[in-house]
Amino acid sequence: MREHEAARDWIRSDETAKQMLSRVLGDRAFLLLPPLHRVPLRAGNVVEITGSSPTAKTQILIQAAIACILPKTWNGVHYGGLEKLVLFLDLDCRFDVMRLSDMLKHRLLEANRIGNGAWWQLEESSGVKNCRGAQDKSKSKSKIVYDEELYVSCMKRFLYLRCYDSLELLSSLKTLHYRIRLQEACGSQVGVLMIDSIGAFHWTDRLSSSLALDKNNRKSLSLTNVVETIVQEMKKLMRVHSLVVIATKATIYEEKYPTNENNRKLSSNNDKAQQPPFREFMPSSWQAFVTHKIFIRKSGDHHQSSGQQSLSAYSLEWLQPQLSSIDRFIVDDSGVVIVS
Amino acid sequence: MAPLKHLEMENPIIDACFRDFCSSHGILTVEDFLIHDLYELAAFAERQVDADRLKEGITVMLSLVEVKCRPWLNGMELLEDLQRNKQTLSSGDNGTDSLLQGGLREGQVTELVGPSSSGKTQFCMQAAASVAEKQEGSVFYIDTGNSFSARRIAQFICGSSAAAVLRKRVLSRISCHTVYDIYTMFDTLQGLEVALRSQMNVNECRLRLLVVDSISSLITPILGGSGSQGRALMVALGYLLKKLAHEHNIAVLVTNYTVGAGENGKTKPALGETWKSIPHVRLMLSRDNRNNSCTISILKHTSMLSGQTVTRKDNQQCL
Repeated sequence: MREHEAARDWIRSDETAKQMLSRVLGDRAFLLLPPLHRVPLRAGNVVEITGSSPTAKTQILIQAAIACILPKTWNGVHYGGLEKLVLFLDLDCRFDVMRLSDMLKHRLLEANRIGNGAWWQLEESSGVKNCRGAQDKSKSKSKIVYDEELYVSCMKRFLYLRCYDSLELLSSLKTLHYRIRLQEACGSQVGVLMIDSIGAFHWTDRLSSSLALDKNNRKSLSLTNVVETIVQEMKKLMRVHSLVVIATKATIYEEKYPTNENNRKLSSNNDKAQQPPFREFMPSSWQAFVTHKIFIRKSGDHHQSSGQQSLSAYSLEWLQPQLSSIDRFIVDDSGVVIVS
Repeated sequence: MAPLKHLEMENPIIDACFRDFCSSHGILTVEDFLIHDLYELAAFAERQVDADRLKEGITVMLSLVEVKCRPWLNGMELLEDLQRNKQTLSSGDNGTDSLLQGGLREGQVTELVGPSSSGKTQFCMQAAASVAEKQEGSVFYIDTGNSFSARRIAQFICGSSAAAVLRKRVLSRISCHTVYDIYTMFDTLQGLEVALRSQMNVNECRLRLLVVDSISSLITPILGGSGSQGRALMVALGYLLKKLAHEHNIAVLVTNYTVGAGENGKTKPALGETWKSIPHVRLMLSRDNRNNSCTISILKHTSMLSGQTVTRKDNQQCL
């Protein structure tokens, strides 16, 4: 009799497909982080943004961070954020917190002004943009002010650490799991791990590979070993916590391929070779770890209609998964604005 | 690369048999410990006779590593540190100050790029004079090309009304060091770092500005070829400057020259692609000899749009 019970329990399902899907979509939801909104990201994805310097890569990270730290709604105003923690590992050591603070304040003000927070519609309707210009002059008189408490709670969800060399990075990654657990004990979940400039220590690590001690048993601090360990630690973290990794990478070799977009389209039609438009320098362990790739290059100036000075525009291209459309964007006070 | 046995005194669990176990896996120093997979190591420890003690040793090592790590700061703490510790120093020139929304920021590395005799050294000396006089901070001036002139700095210290005593006091805050190669540079900067760490914070005349004129003459001789040594030293120097700037709240000003004829004939800054990621702010100085004016434009800034310029007339001795 007991065996029948046990067998019946084993056959009975744990949950239906619908229940499983709703659970998985809830736990590991799709993230649409503008301006990377062309491809929905899920926990477990590793996005690599490559571009020479300066191409607004850090601005994109800051914009995605703001979309992550904002709450979904607050006091009746809809912000559309994820209300999750952002861990920012600054290997470039050039992060400016004033920029994050200004962009967050802009976003809060805009959401309050619009009332329903669908901020990406702002760029498309120029009528609203003009209205915003007029509002700016009377900002001091306007009654719409951002919520200070909300601002503070959002800033507190942004966690920052800088590392000056690979050893500091390795020790931070090894101890990261415990720190995330401490944070999660306070109730907040981690959404995104951002790394600014993964190739920052490339040259110094390469130098240590050439100085490696060749004792037979010992693993040297060479470039491949360091990157392998970094990838290993991140994989371990991603198994336990559901997070998206977004890393920027500054190219360290001069671009020898034609920089003009038209030239590139012609040449790619001719040879059909899937050559990346930059010289890859990260070891293969990192390249295999990355699931999505984006390339940003400068694409001429953008002349604004209202007669202000022309801003430099950049083009964002998805290399993996390969999309045929290329977004052009500019960077202004409120952040990254897609123009075409 | 301290060997593990140095840790035994304070942590008795890291005894000889723990160290033997570690060295059988090729771990002799703390750095080796960081490269290895700890779960794998714990699994190997499971098979040993004194498994619990070995695993406890691994946990102690990990906690030692954690103690050395920097704490994670949240956005509000970063803002607080910025507002309390990192002030903006006037560069001595009103036009540049208005362009940079205040001037040189402590905690940032500002690079000034320009062709020869465009006024980079004058800018550096003016900034040094301004910081020493107005902000009453001391200046560490590293000169690589024998272009430092105390007399010129004295001219920048304003006015005929400046008493000799005041001038002497201001000049005594500027210390000039001549450095001709990159190894002496590392030596000097590391000595400075040690001095700053051991100094007490409550000092009216703390170091506020570090000037390197010019950094490219130190780096260009070692860059070259496809080897990584030159670029590794350049990156290491850049990170040392960034660390000094951030940890000790100093504004760092470096100068660089331009190399000519890219594809479209425009001049571009020297030191190549890798150097572009080092400075926080990059300014381009160009001189127009016909109008006797010089223009400063922003090539890159952490929180401002690039491309903005300001032009000023020449021959300004004093503000």
